Amino acid sequence: MSGTAAPTRARLPGLAPLAEWGMRHRVFGTWLALAALPLLLPSTALATSVVAYGLYALGFNLLFGWGGLLSFGHAALLGGGAYATGIAIAHYGAPWWAAIGVAPVAGAGVAFLMGVLAVRTRGIYFAMVTLALSQCAYHVAYQAVGWTGGENGLRGVNLREVALPFGMVLDGLDPRVRYGLVAVAAGLAVAAVSRVLDSPFGAALAALRENEARARACGYDVRAVRLLAFVLSGAVCGLAGGLLAIHLSVVPVETMHYATSGLAVMLAILGGMHSFFGPFAGAAAFLLLESAVARWTEHWPLVAGTVFMLCVLFFREGIWGTLVGWLRR
Amino acid sequence: MIATRRATLLAAAALPLPALVRAQGTEGPIRIGFPTPLTGAFGTEAQDQVRAAEVAVAEFNESGGLGGRRAELLVRDDRLNPGEAATRTLELIERDRVDFLVGGLSAAVQLAINNVAKERKVLFNSISQSDAINEARDWGPTTFHEALNPHMTAGAVARHALPRFGKRWAFLTADYAYGHEMVRGFQRAGQPLGMETLADIRHPTGATDYSTFLPRIAGLRPDVLCLCNFGRDQQIAVKQAGDFGLKRNVKLVAPVLLYTARLAGGGPAFEGVVGGTSYYWRLEETVPSARAFNDRFRRQHGNRVPSDYGALGYGGVRTVLEAAKAAGGTDTAKVVEAMRALRYDYYKGPQYYRGCDHQSVQSVLVIEAKANTARGEADVFDIVAQEGPEERFLRSCEELGHKA
Repeated sequence: MSGTAAPTRARLPGLAPLAEWGMRHRVFGTWLALAALPLLLPSTALATSVVAYGLYALGFNLLFGWGGLLSFGHAALLGGGAYATGIAIAHYGAPWWAAIGVAPVAGAGVAFLMGVLAVRTRGIYFAMVTLALSQCAYHVAYQAVGWTGGENGLRGVNLREVALPFGMVLDGLDPRVRYGLVAVAAGLAVAAVSRVLDSPFGAALAALRENEARARACGYDVRAVRLLAFVLSGAVCGLAGGLLAIHLSVVPVETMHYATSGLAVMLAILGGMHSFFGPFAGAAAFLLLESAVARWTEHWPLVAGTVFMLCVLFFREGIWGTLVGWLRR
Repeated sequence: MIATRRATLLAAAALPLPALVRAQGTEGPIRIGFPTPLTGAFGTEAQDQVRAAEVAVAEFNESGGLGGRRAELLVRDDRLNPGEAATRTLELIERDRVDFLVGGLSAAVQLAINNVAKERKVLFNSISQSDAINEARDWGPTTFHEALNPHMTAGAVARHALPRFGKRWAFLTADYAYGHEMVRGFQRAGQPLGMETLADIRHPTGATDYSTFLPRIAGLRPDVLCLCNFGRDQQIAVKQAGDFGLKRNVKLVAPVLLYTARLAGGGPAFEGVVGGTSYYWRLEETVPSARAFNDRFRRQHGNRVPSDYGALGYGGVRTVLEAAKAAGGTDTAKVVEAMRALRYDYYKGPQYYRGCDHQSVQSVLVIEAKANTARGEADVFDIVAQEGPEERFLRSCEELGHKA
């Protein structure tokens, strides 16, 4: 290992320590990325979408990359949060802090209901149970037209102003204000997730992923740990949904569609499921690719699919995981 | 330390970009954002909408534009997904600084675009069917609706079909807003004429097998089977109803009979099916503006004719550009006033926007599909009736929640 490391380090002076620094200060690094994102991407709207979907993928990866559980039902958690925020604003005219606040609660609530049933299963059965339950949630949203707008989607999620303490009022239609709101909320959530992963609970989750029988023998309550992880994942994904609702000012019923569940899997794998920042990188890469390629051909899914296949075949650690791996070598 | 320095460098490199984009915004060309689902189930219709919109833009530019200001079409793929449409619309407004928005195909997508646009006071002319967009809850002063709505379409077809084909109706309905709104439209128009609804059978959108529904429908012995579904659903349902032998005793009726679905489905399957449409190219035999539009479209796009939804792309863009000309600029408030004042005949006969909800008051064509394509491949329908343009076929302003 050290034999191959020497020439690489000579070629790329300074980058290996940078990667080390990023690994050690992953929260601060993510915050820097959040601050730089609107300057790097072609539009603030795209940057806001990247942050919201990145947070969604991060929440999903809490269960997938760190807990080793592949869920195909995370659209219900994203949608739960999105509808909670959407209904709070569209039906009750809630202020921004309340509207954002209900999103993780709703996400965690939906996750608890799904988790109670799903954590009894493992592997493919876990994926199938979560998929089935999220389809139930989809049809509830589809039928509850009075609350969700059904097929037409929930419109009128208009956050016209963001009132801050000391009488400061920001214009909610300003893209920079919207990005700031979304980025700060996402930044706090990232810090919380990082703290959880560093806690004894995070270690228990990793132990379960590596060897369930051994973890059980050590005295861990497997179901309880998994349920808690599912609920935490739900809170993060719910928050992402709420931020997305505020960003787009509508909640389409497609948010709950199983394709959105698949998107989380894709973003996590594309970015790197074993790295903390990977899901964000996956979201940025995917959305940027999509918006750039769609500009000159309507066959952009062909390009996105090819990139995804290349990642799965040759870059098993995803874009970010591979990049960090190279830099640290 | 290195990280911050690099971030600063990148930031410095990226900063001038948005500033440049913004600088062009005010005195450059007239920019029209055109979100439409180039990919997805309605891709064929969407691509035809783009072709027709290009015709409107080309005509405008050839006639000298607005005092030399040319028009520019910014087409974006919304993938038939309202969230995607909202993102693209935000980009079009915030980054590309478009003057107007035209587009949307599907109720949910146009409502999403409308919500984003009306909050930012950007004029949006919607070109696909929806009842909700007329209602006070969704509507805004900058919202216009060039397309038909389900109430008008279903009403016209019902008033044509009921006296001719019988009063006992069965509905096979795609279970989403479009289907529900169409059934509601048929029943409201049919009630005074004595319509009897035997059953309203719902199927999920994207269904490929209707064999479970068809025996049940045959058992009800209806006079009319009304297929309230769209696109590929309609195409498959028509074919399977024919294969099942239903067409021998039952008349098949659809609220919107799509040109593209008929082309894909084939003549024998569709023969005899009656439905409504906003436009069919053979309108050119009686309407001079339709002839002019078709000729221009043929010239620009390799001798093909515009489809129904395609023509709406032309109507939607042309009205906005003509209004900008009349207003002498792109100031939204003035263009809205000019749009409200338009009395136009651009491609299908006289039209105007109703004052309270900006719904385009226009004719609805009732067409019948035929197998014999005497005038070539594109000759697939006969126009059997035409209703309107009259405001009494629309829901009243009060019913929609607008103050009179």
